[in-house]
Formats: sequence, C-alpha cells, structure tokens
Amino acid sequence: MEGTATFKNCEDIRGRLTLYLDDELQGEERATIEAHLSECESCAAIFARELGFLKSVRESGPLHVASPELRTKIEGLLSERQTSSPIPVAEAKQSLVGPRRRFGWLVAAAALLILLLPVVVWRMTRRTDTSPIKRPSGFALMAADTHLRRTRGQLPLEMESASPQDISAWFSNKVNFQVKLPNYQESSGQEKLYTLEGARLVGFQNDYAAYVAYRMGDRPISLVITSESAAKPSGGEEIAARGLMFHYNAIDGLKVLTWSDRGLTYALVSDLEERGQQSCIVCHTGTKDRDFIEPLKPH
Amino acid sequence: MDSLGRNGLFGQAALEHIDALYGYAMTLTRDTTKAEDLVQETYLRAAGAANRPDNGNLKGWLFVIMRNAWLNQVRHENSGPHFVDLDNESPIDEVQENPHVVYLRNLEREQVRQAIGSLPDAYREIVVLRDIEGFTYQEIATVLDCPAGTVMSRLGRARGKLRKLLSGRKNKTRIRAV
Repeated sequence: MEGTATFKNCEDIRGRLTLYLDDELQGEERATIEAHLSECESCAAIFARELGFLKSVRESGPLHVASPELRTKIEGLLSERQTSSPIPVAEAKQSLVGPRRRFGWLVAAAALLILLLPVVVWRMTRRTDTSPIKRPSGFALMAADTHLRRTRGQLPLEMESASPQDISAWFSNKVNFQVKLPNYQESSGQEKLYTLEGARLVGFQNDYAAYVAYRMGDRPISLVITSESAAKPSGGEEIAARGLMFHYNAIDGLKVLTWSDRGLTYALVSDLEERGQQSCIVCHTGTKDRDFIEPLKPH
Repeated sequence: MDSLGRNGLFGQAALEHIDALYGYAMTLTRDTTKAEDLVQETYLRAAGAANRPDNGNLKGWLFVIMRNAWLNQVRHENSGPHFVDLDNESPIDEVQENPHVVYLRNLEREQVRQAIGSLPDAYREIVVLRDIEGFTYQEIATVLDCPAGTVMSRLGRARGKLRKLLSGRKNKTRIRAV
C-alpha cells in the first residue's frame, strides 16, 4: 500500500483497530476495516499482532475463582432472601439505565428525631383511633426491614461515631441530599436520652438512602432519610402537627413513623415500650420541645 | 416486575456470576478476606433490591453494586479511593513492530496473570473488565461511572503498559535462558 492517500487510509484503519478488536464497530465501519485488512498486508500484520496480544490476555482468565465455602455462603444468603422478607432493603447506587439525579438541600433529620421521639412512642402505644389503618408505604416497610437487619447484626455500620457532625459530614457526597444532624445535648443542655452509634447507606429506589443508628439504653432506634421525590409518606395512622403530617404504622412489632419535610422523607423505627416512651415525655415536656410535642398528644 | 423479580430465578442467575464477582473483588481489594466480604455485601444488596435488571444486564448491575460498595468501604476507611487518576499520564509509547509481541502468544498463562496483577489499580481494573469479563465500553463506563471516551483512552494506556510489562518479562526470561 503506497501513496499519501493510501497511507492515510492505513493510519485511519490502524487507529480503529482496537475498536474493531473490541467489537465496538458495527455495519459499514466494520466491513470497511475487514475489506482493508484483506488487501493490506502491513495492516493485517499489525492486526494479527494485536489479536495475538489480546488473545493471550483474554485467555489468562479467570484470574480468581470463588472458594466452595464462599459459594455455599452466597447460596444460603440468596436462598434466605428469597424465602424471607419481600421488602427492598438495598439497591445499586446507580442503575445501568440512568444518571443520578441531584436533589436540593436538606436538613435537620436528627432534630426531628429528637423532637418527635417521645411523641412517636406515646402514639405508638395509645392508638385509640377506630378508623381503618391504611397499608404502610414501601419506604416505611424498607425502614422496618432495615431496622430488623440491624438488630440481627446483618447490617454493619459503615461508620461509627457518636458525633452528629462527623456523621453529617460522612454523608456528604454519598447521598443526593444534605444530612445535618443536630447535637441534641448541646442544643438542649440536658442529659442525653439516647446515644448516636453511627451510619451507613441503604438502597432505596435505585439510589441510596441515609441510615442513622441510635440507641436508647439497650434499645436500638433507626432513622432512615431519603428524598421526598423518592418516597412520600403514606398509609397508617395520620397525625398532624406543626404543619407536618406524620404517618404511624406498626410493622412486625416495630413502631414506624414517617413524614416529609422540606424535600426529605424520614422514617423513624424503634421497638420502644410504653414505659420508656413515657420517660421520654417526662424529660422532654420540661424543655423547649414542649411546644412541639403538646399539639401531638391525643385529646 | 422484571423477569428476575421475585420468582426465584434471580438467585440462580446471580450465582452464575460469583467467580466473575470474586475476581473483580480481588482486583479491587487485593485481599482474599476483603474480597469475600465484598462479594457477600454485593449479593446481600442485590438480593434486597426492588428493581432488578433483566438477565442480560444482570452481570453489569452486580458489578456496579460491587464497585459502589467497595468505594463506600474505601471512603469509610478515610484512605480515599485507591485508584489514581492515570488518564492524564503521559502516553505510553506504542509498541511499533516490536518483535517481543510475537512471543506473547506463547507466554504462559501465569505470566500474563502476574503482569495484569502488577498493573496500577485503575489499569488492572479496566483490563479485567474488558478483557477478562468481556464488558463493552459502555458497560464499563457505567460500572466506572465515567464517559465511554475515558474507557477507551484508559484501556489503551492500560494495554500499552501491559505490553511493556509482558515484553520486559519475556526479555528477562530470554536473558536467563541464555
């Protein structure tokens, strides 16, 4: 193959040989290269060399094989998941079909946790409403399942800290909304009724939701946060307070409260009993939280 | 609900990719214990997912889950991603009419494996995804969350580096043989 025009053609072909070898070319482009290779010995030699190289690399696999023990573990895990909860608990951060969406800011999840905990507990144990209870939302079910997995030791925390600031910072760049946990002790001046344990990500609606683990005594409390566009609270007993609508459900013995505020949706899960809840109310009714709690109490 | 939804087929289909996932986990972690943990975490997340892909996209989907899980672990350890941005490195000289390449056809499998294993992390990963696991450029772009153009350029550099490594190993073998 000689001449300027031909040389340029060879250069073009060689520049696309990798794409051809990787099966990234289709139709006419592929046919053009094949036709050229059948006529040009120089390019065909380069092609053969590249093909040989890739063949040696590709035939070197598999580089690793899962052990029989690991395979058995995974089989058991998959079998267990098929026969147990149908609730979605974790999903890929990004699907293969769409880019991540950016949500706006937000906000003080833990503030609501602190403010609402006594109310939640109180309401959970005193449901006198006789109206039909609607089915819990998928988000509430996911939060309950996540809480159960946490209590079973199946959901290790990805970061452990008692610092609201550290946990808030950990979530930045991991979820598409801002998590800002307040420091209850600092803001209230009271002894803490709970401890903050840490956080992790959990899957929901093809994205990540934020999971924050608390503990009151020996009882775990879970707070799950996602964007309002991913989950809207629904179902259960509705409790209106301060312009917000809370949805309470009892799921598998757990008390689950969901609500939305300023673009985020929250789910608060616990198995706290009445006595502990009453204690919370006693502690909080003397604080500045009182104005918030009072309207929520049943009359 | 997709074809792999809740009908029990998912577990069977997902299990077919365990070796590939373990291989990718080893590529990411370089540690057998961490790799096994990562595989378990991946299957756990996948099993709990509400929206699963069809069978054709299952493998890529599982790889996306694994890579994200691994990145989360890395972030958690506050060590930052282990991958270095190699895409802006000076281009590696292409092997032109290099007679050593001819020998590559006859290299032992283990020699190629060792060469892949000694690649920088980002290069090793992309070679594994393309040449060992057979993903397309677009699928790799999805797994790595980067443009397809980046896949092409990084793959070219990775293969260039691999050629050099293999060529060097072959040279040493020849010298010892003499």
